[in-house]
Amino acid sequence: MIEFGLLQLIMAVLGVGVGIIFGALPGMTATMAIAIFLPLTYAYDLNTSLFLLLGLYVGGISGGLIPAILLNIPGTPSSITTGFDGFPMAKRGEAEKALKIGITASLIGGMFSLAALCLFTPPLAKLAIQFSAVEKFLIILFALTVIAALSKGNMTRGIFAGFLGVLVSLIGAFADNNHLRMVPDFLKVELRSGFQLLPVLIGLFALTQIFQEAETGMKVSKATYDLNNNDKSKRFSIKDFKGQGINLIRSSAIGTFMGILPGVGGSAASLLSYSQAKNFSKEPEKLGTGAVEGLVASESANNGLTGGALIPLLSLGIPGDSTTAVLVGAFMLQGIQVGPLFITNNRGTWYTILFALAICNIIMFITMFYPIKHIAKVIKLPKNRIYPVIILMCVVGAYAIRNGNMFDVWTLLLFGVIGYIFSKINIPSAPFLIGFILGRDLEKYFVDSIKGSGGSLACFFTRPIGWGIWALIIASILFAVFDNRKARRQQA
Amino acid sequence: MLTINYMPSTSHWIVPPIIMGILVILLFVMSIQRFIKTKKENQPFIQLKNKRFFEENWDKLKLFGTLVLFILYIFAMDVLGFLIASIVFIFLFNVLFAGVMQLEEIPKAFKEKTYFKNEGFCSVCISLLIAIIFSVGIWFLFGEVFSITLP
Repeated sequence: MIEFGLLQLIMAVLGVGVGIIFGALPGMTATMAIAIFLPLTYAYDLNTSLFLLLGLYVGGISGGLIPAILLNIPGTPSSITTGFDGFPMAKRGEAEKALKIGITASLIGGMFSLAALCLFTPPLAKLAIQFSAVEKFLIILFALTVIAALSKGNMTRGIFAGFLGVLVSLIGAFADNNHLRMVPDFLKVELRSGFQLLPVLIGLFALTQIFQEAETGMKVSKATYDLNNNDKSKRFSIKDFKGQGINLIRSSAIGTFMGILPGVGGSAASLLSYSQAKNFSKEPEKLGTGAVEGLVASESANNGLTGGALIPLLSLGIPGDSTTAVLVGAFMLQGIQVGPLFITNNRGTWYTILFALAICNIIMFITMFYPIKHIAKVIKLPKNRIYPVIILMCVVGAYAIRNGNMFDVWTLLLFGVIGYIFSKINIPSAPFLIGFILGRDLEKYFVDSIKGSGGSLACFFTRPIGWGIWALIIASILFAVFDNRKARRQQA
Repeated sequence: MLTINYMPSTSHWIVPPIIMGILVILLFVMSIQRFIKTKKENQPFIQLKNKRFFEENWDKLKLFGTLVLFILYIFAMDVLGFLIASIVFIFLFNVLFAGVMQLEEIPKAFKEKTYFKNEGFCSVCISLLIAIIFSVGIWFLFGEVFSITLP
């Protein structure tokens, strides 16, 4: 059932390797890696492509620990707390040990989330099959309110970005009556099917980053670190994990849970698990000074995110984070609809995802753990030489999506500029992208619901499953309001 | 309970006005929030004096250079085709990102015949190599091996 041969292995190794490079270079992320490597998957079937894409995902999340530990600069937002304890360890000559602890914790977090993905996705999808258009609409509404709930201290902007994404996704023809809306006359042909997902997401997550780096002068950091250590007591040993079992499970579970919630980034998972590790620690004062506990919490949580974020995507069709939102693009390219029927209709692909995720985690461990001294050198790669190549890949990816349409390259540039402006006015891009992906479905299910009820909005309040989802929506809004107030009070 | 008059011919305009309405409400809420915040802090509602859009000491040449080069690159692909346009523009992006000052070193390197001992000359050569290798590589891999449509 699972097609796995030399080609798939090469794809997984390539994905993990490139992902580690992207993760290790501050400013470059797993999302960016997947976005610009999507064009490479045009030539392969989905199952083979998944090994590359999941490899990029796992490698991209894991690679962030290298600069976090060696330079105290998180390579990805998800490794934000890794440096809190990793860097002090590196400063006292335990860099290699810290890296190896981080890599091992990453593997455990990744495998934990894989088990969660395997266990929770099929029952959730089974439940979702019973959903009518009403519940499907409410679930998308819930996803948008969760985005707001977790945009800490930035609730209104988060929800604004989500709905703005919905509005932009509605540009073009409406499938039911084929009438155009919100399209200027001179773009009637180009925008008939709206803005394409791939140029939008590459623009938001790759080109925006290049504009931001260009603004700051694209400075090359002169990275210096020492990985040579002859003191045996400062070397990695499996004993370093003694007493970390509960911390590992708790942090992996937090990471997985945070991954399930739509729109929540790895940084939130990493921060929450770190603060929980501190709360439960017998010696909380040691966290932040080079404690194994803090490092384990951060790294197991951010890799726990990988499988978690796939759960809502594969069961409900709702991406858990910006990286899985990009994966939607890969499924769309292959003509596969993610959602409640995904597992039933694509059993082979479902098993391939599980297998590929396991293989990619193992490859990540092997390629990072043993040759870490050499792998760590990737942080010295000059970004100013990589970005021009990324621009080239972005253009190819955007152009090829509809078999050659220069309008999509203009879309890429447009959303690169929009993403850059968003970053300046504090509008988060991830909720915008999730709103953009879900917008058309939100409209379809809303219209289908009122069609079925003869126009009455009461249909949204009459079914018991709907009541449950309304309860979740209200709870997430209340949580958002209280959490937002708390965050503002803390800021003050 | 509210009802919506569903007519197939106008159904494409049911959801967009609702979303626009939500966005207007959210903008209003954000304005209120800002009003309360600025009132508490005794500051003006619109404050442009100390506001800066760009980072401190931002690199005008690199930021606008990137934007202009990208626009020209799109036009050039139509005129020159993917391969030649990519070699030219990826080289220019490389020179821009690595620092245009390196170009000043070229005449010096020729005059003093220092060539590869000259840092600027080496940097330009690296830019050219990257542009050629990656443009040809991607053109060959995507266009020839995978038969993916290129500009």
